[in-house]
Amino acid sequence: MSALLDVGGLSTGYGVVQVLEDVSIRVAAGEIVSLIGPNGAGKSTVLRSVVGLLPPWRGDIRFDGRDLVGRPPHLLPRDGLMYVPQGRVVFPLMTVRENLEMGAFLFRRDRARVREAMEWVLGLFPRLRERLGQLAGTMSGGEQQMCAIARGLMARPRLLLLDEPSLGLAPRFVDLVFEKMDALRAAGVAVLLVEQNAVRALEIADRAYVLARGSTFCEGTGRALLEDAQVQALFLGGRKGEGWR
Amino acid sequence: MLWEPVLWGQLLIHGVMLAGLYGLLALGLNLVFGVMRVINFAHGELVMLGAFLTFWGYTALGLHPLVALPFSAAVLFGVGWALQRLLMERVLGGQPMAALLVTFGLSLIIINVGLLVFGADIRSIPVVSGSLRVAGFVVPKARGLAFLTAVALTVATVAFLRWTAFGRAIRATAQHPEVAITCGVDVRRTRLVTFGLGAALGAAAGSLIMLILPMDPQSGSLLILKAFAVIIVGGLGSVAGSLLGALVLGIAEVFGSFFIATVFGEVMAYVLLLLVLLVRPAGLLGIAER
Ligand SMILES: Nc1ncnc2c1ncn2[C@@H]1O[C@H](COP(=O)(O)OP(=O)(O)O)[C@@H](O)[C@H]1O
Ligand SMILES: [Mg+2]
Repeated sequence: MSALLDVGGLSTGYGVVQVLEDVSIRVAAGEIVSLIGPNGAGKSTVLRSVVGLLPPWRGDIRFDGRDLVGRPPHLLPRDGLMYVPQGRVVFPLMTVRENLEMGAFLFRRDRARVREAMEWVLGLFPRLRERLGQLAGTMSGGEQQMCAIARGLMARPRLLLLDEPSLGLAPRFVDLVFEKMDALRAAGVAVLLVEQNAVRALEIADRAYVLARGSTFCEGTGRALLEDAQVQALFLGGRKGEGWR
Repeated sequence: MLWEPVLWGQLLIHGVMLAGLYGLLALGLNLVFGVMRVINFAHGELVMLGAFLTFWGYTALGLHPLVALPFSAAVLFGVGWALQRLLMERVLGGQPMAALLVTFGLSLIIINVGLLVFGADIRSIPVVSGSLRVAGFVVPKARGLAFLTAVALTVATVAFLRWTAFGRAIRATAQHPEVAITCGVDVRRTRLVTFGLGAALGAAAGSLIMLILPMDPQSGSLLILKAFAVIIVGGLGSVAGSLLGALVLGIAEVFGSFFIATVFGEVMAYVLLLLVLLVRPAGLLGIAER
């Protein structure tokens, strides 16, 4: 398989503290891959190194065959890679429209492309259409998360890196986030989805990785991992169905 | 105090005209703070350098100050860019105190080099004299010209920030640098331009201030205090706030010096600073820390 994203033997950390050890992850074009693992396992760190916000110590990161190590992070949208960080991060003092347009910043001269992307994301998140003129910082948490995801999609990426999009959201927004994964699959956008909501992340995923203490410790189809006793033990210290969510 | 509509109107006009200059004076400082999260203690010295360049263009080359101003601003843009590139980039993102100390040291160096090069004499550019009568009020031409130019530059800057792609990149960087990067903003270049722009705006403000107030190489320290008061009163990082802060300071200075004592005008910046810090530390339109 020639992967769209190919992370091999990635080790990195903050300062002298190592967080990741020999992490390997692949995402094929159009595939939805979940990365699950307990709090502090290093999931966010994986995404941050992929997009170049944190330089890797060892290992390689390739996107569509291109070596991403050392590539200036602000060029990644052009390659087709977008990252939506953890924590509903919007530009609070910009309107929703401006936020969305920021997602297509590198493509701003291609007006038709920006307009099309805008229609597409507003179709996915109709609620944002009513809020286009509102300052993003004044919306509810769920709406801000919609805005952040929509901003990522404005670049029409081939791969979207999503860091805990359902974290701290009201249940109906959580449902909405997971529903949208199907829409992205249909649109051919590959997703690397980091989630704490392990069951739902595994249910939705084509494949998944489990990260524990900084290393990918198992890999498989979403279904297989759902049934895996070790995975169950890691997340629940017990049987399936108890406290999984 | 005695209610005299004409007198009060006259004072108000003077206050507003001063406020136009203070708004421009604070704009560069506020912009740099918004993007870098560092108070540039050398801003006053960049203002002074810009003023002296314009003064030099006027005396040595015979240029009208408004003609010399764009050149002076362009030179200071380059100076700001270079300072960011050679100095600030090394300390930003580290200990906040380190960045503050660097700008503080820089201000001392510029003052002393200024004293060496320009001498300690007080200079002014008395090129525009006389006054106009507008609707019964007296408007000194120099002040009117400085005010109008400052307002035009402020409006242009605000429009630039609001409606151009680069302005949007600056705002995105101020609000969330990491997300700005992942959206495709070259944050490093944006910061270089922002520091350059802050210095250029300072140079413009200094040139205009020299039309109405004499300056010497040490004047920067008084001016930065005023700029600082303006953005603290209005709210750190808020452009609308700093315009309001400038109005408050300009009017307070004029009324203070007229009704209390001439020297009181100069004290107003301190008074307002203290008052706002005591009563409303976030500033009038301030946003709480992110
Ligand atoms: N900026 C940082 N500086 C130092 N350590 C960090 C930083 N961010 C995360 N860490 C540490 O790295 C480890 C992994 O964090 P993270 O990648 O955020 O985990 P996850 O996303 O899986 O919860 C944690 O132990 C965390 O404390
Ligand atoms: Mg995380």
